[in-house]
Amino acid sequence: MSAPTVEAPRRALAWRPGPVALAGAVAVVLVIAGELVSPGFAGYGQLVNLMRVAAFLSVIAIGQTIVIIAGGGGVDLSVGKVATFAAIIGSRVMAGDDANIVPAVALALLVAAAIGLVNGLGVTLLRIPPFVMTLGMIGVVQGLILAYTGGQASGRAAPALTSLVNGRIVFDLPGLLFLWLLLGLLAVWLLRRTTFGWNLYAVGANRAAAELTGVRAGRTLILAYVLSATFAGLAGILLLGYTESVFLDLADQYMLPSVAAVVIGGTLLAGGIGGYAGTAVGAIVLTVLQGLLTTLDIGGAWRTIVNGVVLLVLLSLYGRQRRLRS
Amino acid sequence: MSALLEMTGVRKRYGGVQALDGASLTAVRGEVHALLGPNGSGKSTLDKTLAGTVVPDSGEIRIDGAEARIGGPRDAHALGIAAVYQQLSVVGDLTVTQNVVLGLEPARRLGFLDHRAARVRAATALERFAAAFSGRLPLDRPAASLGPGEQQIVEVAKALAREPRVLVLDEATASLHKEQVEVLFEVVRELRAAGVLVVFTSHRLDEVFALCDRATVLRNGRTVATVDLSSTTEDALVQLMVAAPAQTPVETPDAPQGASRHVEAPVSGRTAESGAVALVVRGLTTDRLRDVSFTVRAGEVLGLGGLQGQGQSELLLALFGAARITAGDALLDGKALPLTSPARAARAGVALVPGDRARQGMFASRPIQENLSLASMRRRARLKLALSAAAERRAARSMVERLSIKIGSLNDPVATLSGGNQQKVVIGKWLLDQPRVVLLDDPAKGVDVAAKEEIYAIVRGLAAEGAVVILNSSDNRELTELSDRVLVLFEGAVAEELTAASITENRLVSSALRLAPGETL
Ligand SMILES: Nc1ncnc2c1ncn2[C@@H]1O[C@H](COP(=O)(O)OP(=O)(O)OP(=O)(O)O)[C@@H](O)[C@H]1O
Ligand SMILES: [Mg+2]
Repeated sequence: MSAPTVEAPRRALAWRPGPVALAGAVAVVLVIAGELVSPGFAGYGQLVNLMRVAAFLSVIAIGQTIVIIAGGGGVDLSVGKVATFAAIIGSRVMAGDDANIVPAVALALLVAAAIGLVNGLGVTLLRIPPFVMTLGMIGVVQGLILAYTGGQASGRAAPALTSLVNGRIVFDLPGLLFLWLLLGLLAVWLLRRTTFGWNLYAVGANRAAAELTGVRAGRTLILAYVLSATFAGLAGILLLGYTESVFLDLADQYMLPSVAAVVIGGTLLAGGIGGYAGTAVGAIVLTVLQGLLTTLDIGGAWRTIVNGVVLLVLLSLYGRQRRLRS
Repeated sequence: MSALLEMTGVRKRYGGVQALDGASLTAVRGEVHALLGPNGSGKSTLDKTLAGTVVPDSGEIRIDGAEARIGGPRDAHALGIAAVYQQLSVVGDLTVTQNVVLGLEPARRLGFLDHRAARVRAATALERFAAAFSGRLPLDRPAASLGPGEQQIVEVAKALAREPRVLVLDEATASLHKEQVEVLFEVVRELRAAGVLVVFTSHRLDEVFALCDRATVLRNGRTVATVDLSSTTEDALVQLMVAAPAQTPVETPDAPQGASRHVEAPVSGRTAESGAVALVVRGLTTDRLRDVSFTVRAGEVLGLGGLQGQGQSELLLALFGAARITAGDALLDGKALPLTSPARAARAGVALVPGDRARQGMFASRPIQENLSLASMRRRARLKLALSAAAERRAARSMVERLSIKIGSLNDPVATLSGGNQQKVVIGKWLLDQPRVVLLDDPAKGVDVAAKEEIYAIVRGLAAEGAVVILNSSDNRELTELSDRVLVLFEGAVAEELTAASITENRLVSSALRLAPGETL
């Protein structure tokens, strides 16, 4: 029939802010609100600090993004525990000595990847729902941690790791932020410019069709869980560099925020739609919100409620956007 | 007679695409009015403005002379308009009865559902279609357990249960067997006699001539003509549809209209001399196939005939490694063909265009770009991993041009394309993979006349380049036009083989029917 009719100029008019832009706007609003109620909240040093906190969450959420995009109820609840375990292994093997960095990081990531592999096999071969599989994995990893440490974390971060994470390189920014940028670019590349990424979106959007297009759906899913655990392990190592010494529940609390960051970033829980840029912004929104609540000295129950309300408001906004678009 | 329905100047824009650009349609009571036009010309969009699921940017709709404001499906219902959409919308988990009465459940007091009344209502609506179901009316079965044709019938029954004055059927016959089409036509004729206006869209012109009184032709969102079908030839109608395509990169645009497109004259695809035997299938057995054996030569088009649902789709899936095979094997060029997974089959050079586009063929929410790239990107990727955006775009663009797919941007979700253009995307993704064996399950479903010819030309081209083509089609005309040989299947086994001269539409029908138990001609 007739050739494509492209009428570019009108497209601009039809543009509506997507989830990433909306979440970004919310982050800005929160920062301004913080500055209003507590002058100094938006100061340079303070903002850098918030970004640093956001960085850890953001790196953990790389894997979470991948797993959620894969669809089929994909989610990885074990990321927090895996990050903790990786930090514990890293700390013990490094034992505060720069010479041990490479074997320590390698071992920590290998163990993390192995845990991810088990998650992936459970989800694909045994068809265990991801929620159940990764929730169960939390218990297993907790057991491994106890067995490995005997209840007492040991060792310490190597000085080189600490200065890589905490050292100020340019503009008085900690190295961590550059590492985050690097890993973020890696994540975006992985999702947008590799066969793995395109296969992943396809499996998430329509698994049956993916298989009938020659995509190895099972393999793609397993790899998604391996990557999720590996990025979690990496985040654990970064946390170790930041805190220098570890404790037994170092990164556990990242479990739910990592899912929230992905969802706030506009990635569909049903799979097949979303991306890492959104997740990064989502992590920033969550972190700024925490900062604001801390500044306002709101604690306990109210904090949880406010968190929940912000999440609901954003999600309902996205739902509206989708309806408007279609 | 005064018009029952008058639509004028209807416009609708989606982002960069002007789907309707001042379309109009006038039809009277007791008429079957065909709405025709190429893929993406706006037929479904116009239907949806009637049904209230699309609100036009501007335009006027009059029913019985009074201006009608259709702001949503409720308004349409109140005006007596019911529609069957191109995309199946049955709810698989609900029973057939529940599907039929969905949205108009006869309520008891306190809002409790009156099951008995619902059943009666559903049964009444479905009864007229009894012949279209094998055996009893499946009132209590979940809709998901029905075949695609039966689901389509359920949708029509659902529309009829609303007792409409205006019934819109958008490609309602695309997934029906020939016998089911007949049943549907009988019902439509009854409706016409009862004064209902039926707006009927189909790309099968023989159906249009068999059923409809007048036809309105759309092109690029504009109405180009309304003709009386009793005084129009098929050729003339096709001319109206394909004439002077707005921006077509093919041949000389000022050549006599349609001359450059062999729309009607079916160039025989029979390649009498085919190459050596390329595909050997031996004793293939699954839970729905019984001991199927055959060979196909390189460059040969093998058709699969018989009543639909006799194992044709299953055979194609099995050859693509997507069915559990209990016995038998296949050889391609003397080497064992892996039938254990579609991924392995695809890598061995097999391609499948599946019968159910939405469920098996496309990724509705993903961009056209990814939909086109997916099957072949591993060939272009560096280290099988790194994709080059430019190379993928070039590949996708080449297919968009080769198949004349009407799109806005490659980044739009494929769901925004018209049905026929979606089908072209599903075919295009495999053409990029340069397959040796091409399995086609109703490849021209929902595709317009001109594009159908383009797809036929592509099928012939593939064969000419030495590929093995196996074609299942619900359209006997398509089988006769394309096949060098036809296997007639019955209950999962090969019942008869028709070769060259014996492949005629009549012969196909009779060999399919003669085998059906208790069937009398
Ligand atoms: N929701 C949507 N978003 C964006 N574009 C759309 C949408 N729906 C339809 N279009 C575009 O509008 C045009 C008309 O589409 P429509 O579905 O009405 O065509 P059609 O005549 O029914 O074609 P077909 O014969 O292939 O079913 C197409 O170019 C299509 O891409
Ligand atoms: Mg349509």
